[in-house]
Amino acid sequence: MIVVEDVHKRYTTRQGAGDWVLRGVNLRIPTRRSVGLIGANGAGKSTLLRIIGGADYPTKGRIERRCRVSWPMGNGGLEGTLTGRQNAKFICRIHGHHDDLPERLERIQDFAELGAAFERPVQTYSSGMRSRLQFALSFAFDFEVYISDEVTSAGDASFRKKASDAFRKLAWRSSIIMTSHDEASLKTFCQSGIWLTGGRALWFDEIDDALRAYKASTA
Amino acid sequence: MANPFSTTLRVWQAIFLQEALVRLFGVRAAWAWLVVEPAAHIGFMSLLWVAMRRGNMDGADLALWIAIGMLAFFLFRRTAIQAMHAIDCNKPFFAFRQVRPFDAAFVRAGLEAFLMVFISLFIFIIAAFTGRDPLPHDPLLLIASAGGLWLFGLGYGMTASVIMRLAPETTHILEILMMPLYLISGTIIPLSSIPLPYRDWLLVNPLAHGLESARASFFATYHVVPGVSLEYLCLWALCSVCLGLALYRVYETRLVMQ
Repeated sequence: MIVVEDVHKRYTTRQGAGDWVLRGVNLRIPTRRSVGLIGANGAGKSTLLRIIGGADYPTKGRIERRCRVSWPMGNGGLEGTLTGRQNAKFICRIHGHHDDLPERLERIQDFAELGAAFERPVQTYSSGMRSRLQFALSFAFDFEVYISDEVTSAGDASFRKKASDAFRKLAWRSSIIMTSHDEASLKTFCQSGIWLTGGRALWFDEIDDALRAYKASTA
Repeated sequence: MANPFSTTLRVWQAIFLQEALVRLFGVRAAWAWLVVEPAAHIGFMSLLWVAMRRGNMDGADLALWIAIGMLAFFLFRRTAIQAMHAIDCNKPFFAFRQVRPFDAAFVRAGLEAFLMVFISLFIFIIAAFTGRDPLPHDPLLLIASAGGLWLFGLGYGMTASVIMRLAPETTHILEILMMPLYLISGTIIPLSSIPLPYRDWLLVNPLAHGLESARASFFATYHVVPGVSLEYLCLWALCSVCLGLALYRVYETRLVMQ
């Protein structure tokens, strides 16, 4: 379970503190229940995912991860000047896979299907290629909750199918928390939904209800 | 299986390997420049002093005197600069919860010390081939002075990186500061040539103490400037590292937050 308790967040820039993006988000996200995060642009979806994944911190409030949570795929984590392989090596090493590095790398390479681009700097990748690498990287490790910011919907059709097949195989022990502007991929991956609106989060047991509520608000 | 200590160790290992790769092969022949830059510097300065008809510095061989001073100063400066930019250069990796800002700063500083050992060995081998005796007569004093300079570099770099993060305008000042430090630390101009009231002012700078101690460790006959104390440098080093650690503790989230 992931406990999100009264999380507030605003970004500080040189112009000073900005507006509150999140104003008191309270959630208990159960494990083994995949959740789609929906909301308008700028509603704070990526912000909340980054905070859940531990890449950023709430300005106020706290977060508790009572399970193994992945880093937020799709936001950082890849150093542009390094090649795909070098990035993969770094990530394998910090997750304690120094000894079985060659096998892990092979698994990542197979899954990402980047071909020769795996040896090229990540900054030369297209957004689809980046997503494939991100997805392959986090699926190389056993997490209970994977966090994906638009990663699953960025690849092409064949990769999307591969990703959802791979994920279905893991569904008995893992779940995903994701954002996507593509309704179909939300419905493929998720059972439940969170609607972010006005800096607060609303939980829906069924993803369809969440999508309906969101659509009703925009209509 | 994953206790915090082993997690930290493997993060250090990963950063070290990644950084070493960039440092040695990041640009074409990067590894060669690591040696060529200080060697050219030392050669040029020795030449300059020789042109001014000076073959000996207070009882020490001129070229060796310059080499030791430069290497000692570079040990500090490179460590400080590397630690200073540790956070911006490793930004994407803070997406992983196990990578903390201190890890990046510490490992980069460690890598710099590691590289400086090899660079120094190389330069001392050149010195030996040109007929000088590059063996320290007091190796313990050498280790202590190098350790003090490195630690001060780490502390300075960590403190500077937090200041830079909180007030980006200070970046220029903190980088320009290295230039006067280079001149007043006795790297190329012997402190003994400075008249008295002013020389004591220069001795406020802890780097001068480190450089003089490093020289004293090499030459048995060297006339160390009165008032030099290694403890003074070590005190600065310890205080700056403690200050750096405290700042990292307080601003840990601010350093990686967007």
